Amino acid sequence: MIHFVVFFKKETKESIRTYALLIMAVVFAVLGIMNPLVAKLTPELIPKLMPEGINITMPEPSSLDSWSQFFKNIQQMGLVVTMLVFSGSLPNEVAKGTLINLLTKGLSRRAVIFAKYAAMAAIWTLSMAISLVVTWTYTIYFFPDGKAQHVLLAAFWLWTFGAFLLAVMLCAATLVVSSYGSLLISGAAVVTLMILNVIPAVQKYNPLSLAGRNMDLVTGNIGPASLVPALIITLVAIPLLILLAAQKFAKKQL
Amino acid sequence: MNILEINQLYKAFGRKQVLNGLDMAVPEGSIFGFVGRNGAGKTTTMKIVLGLLKADRGTVTVCGEEVSYGATKTNRHIGYLPDVPEFYGYMRPREYLQLCGEIAGLPSKHIGERSDELLSLVGLGDANRKIRGFSGGMKQRLGIAQALMGEPRLLICDEPTSALDPLGRRQILDILFSLKSRTTVVFSTHILSDVERICDRVAVLEGGRLVLSGTIAQIRKRNRSNSYCLRFSSSSTAREFAGSLKLQWPAVKMDREGSTLVITTEDQNGGRVLIDLLAAKQVVPESFEVMEPSLESLFAEVVQ
Repeated sequence: MIHFVVFFKKETKESIRTYALLIMAVVFAVLGIMNPLVAKLTPELIPKLMPEGINITMPEPSSLDSWSQFFKNIQQMGLVVTMLVFSGSLPNEVAKGTLINLLTKGLSRRAVIFAKYAAMAAIWTLSMAISLVVTWTYTIYFFPDGKAQHVLLAAFWLWTFGAFLLAVMLCAATLVVSSYGSLLISGAAVVTLMILNVIPAVQKYNPLSLAGRNMDLVTGNIGPASLVPALIITLVAIPLLILLAAQKFAKKQL
Repeated sequence: MNILEINQLYKAFGRKQVLNGLDMAVPEGSIFGFVGRNGAGKTTTMKIVLGLLKADRGTVTVCGEEVSYGATKTNRHIGYLPDVPEFYGYMRPREYLQLCGEIAGLPSKHIGERSDELLSLVGLGDANRKIRGFSGGMKQRLGIAQALMGEPRLLICDEPTSALDPLGRRQILDILFSLKSRTTVVFSTHILSDVERICDRVAVLEGGRLVLSGTIAQIRKRNRSNSYCLRFSSSSTAREFAGSLKLQWPAVKMDREGSTLVITTEDQNGGRVLIDLLAAKQVVPESFEVMEPSLESLFAEVVQ
């Protein structure tokens, strides 16, 4: 436990001094501001960009457009940036040998894995929270229409998927040597989930649905309880993946 | 008591058998030179001792406790300096030692004092910039400081001097030598003069096992040849003495270079014969030396 705390502190210091935290916070804050702005400005910009004589009538933008931007951006840009920022966390330390000094002082290898995951998950949580609060504030300001439902739950789904993906990546990092390898395995995992998602019966259980059906929930197409199976599976898979990572790492020749 | 014991250690990487039944014992309080060619398996041995690599067979005990691979329990007795120590470049030396101290489980008020003490020991007392800007020698010295942070009973250094300039090498050797009373030091190297300078024990690894080991004095004694080096005041005296020696002792082997005469005999009592002859001839040499084999020649002999 002491080792976890010590190493978590080190991870936090590292993400501040190597600007990982700053990059994440800025990217997610920018995404947060863009979502409502794009929703607000698109209908005003499009007619102006059209050649004269053509009239396009755009539907009045609503809070749903803003939230649709939010989920789309974080699913794509947000998750990609997160993966890129954290992909080197473990592989770089193994490759460079920075862990050797600490492990030979008795640092537990489990603590390394747990603390690394905790730090990644904390920054992911913080970044999502920043984006969510910013988008929410502007959305209420621009579109006080109250059309969006269950936004928090929909965001929680996406958060869970992100946390799952980080666990997959950390687990992959204990199997391969380079950060590219762990990115590749994580990408392959997502592709596998996509292929599985073709089967309608699987969708309800597929972690990927947590990052795909968010707008369906916000618009009321599906109910809050509809993805409970996927949510449970994902929330169980995360600790299992981390335990597997810890076990693999304990037996890794360094 | 032996602080480190290695019994019948085997390790192969793929088809390459690196360790082949290695037995080694390091007594407490010694400075132990672990010598071998590049690629002989020195680093592999050390990494197995630290639980970083898995041995195929064999046991390692540190302070009487058996080392198990992947676990880090026995490492609390050990300080380790890797051949190229790597640090977090964004930290300052004191911060790094703080981290090390916390991991080693030192009481927090103790960590600051110990960091200061160690940094001044290794000559980094005033270095307060980020480690990123450190030279190789500075990193090596910080490496020693971090290795000593947990007050280890055994300090293992992997080729601590091989990447350094002569001055840096001397500083590192002086630091290691100054630790003699505090901790046992095992250091691997292929620089024999370093071993001669500070070690009291040496072991030579070749072909996956030790081919030579013991205290330096023992090894020298065991391998002493019956060679004597006599230096005379002039070359003519040397020539004269050589001539009379040849008459009395036709089987002797002699090399003369100016006023210096190197004499090698099969006879265990060769020295006494020489002194008798010197006395009989009333010749006083400027120096009379029983020649000891250099570690280098021994090393070359055993790794052939």
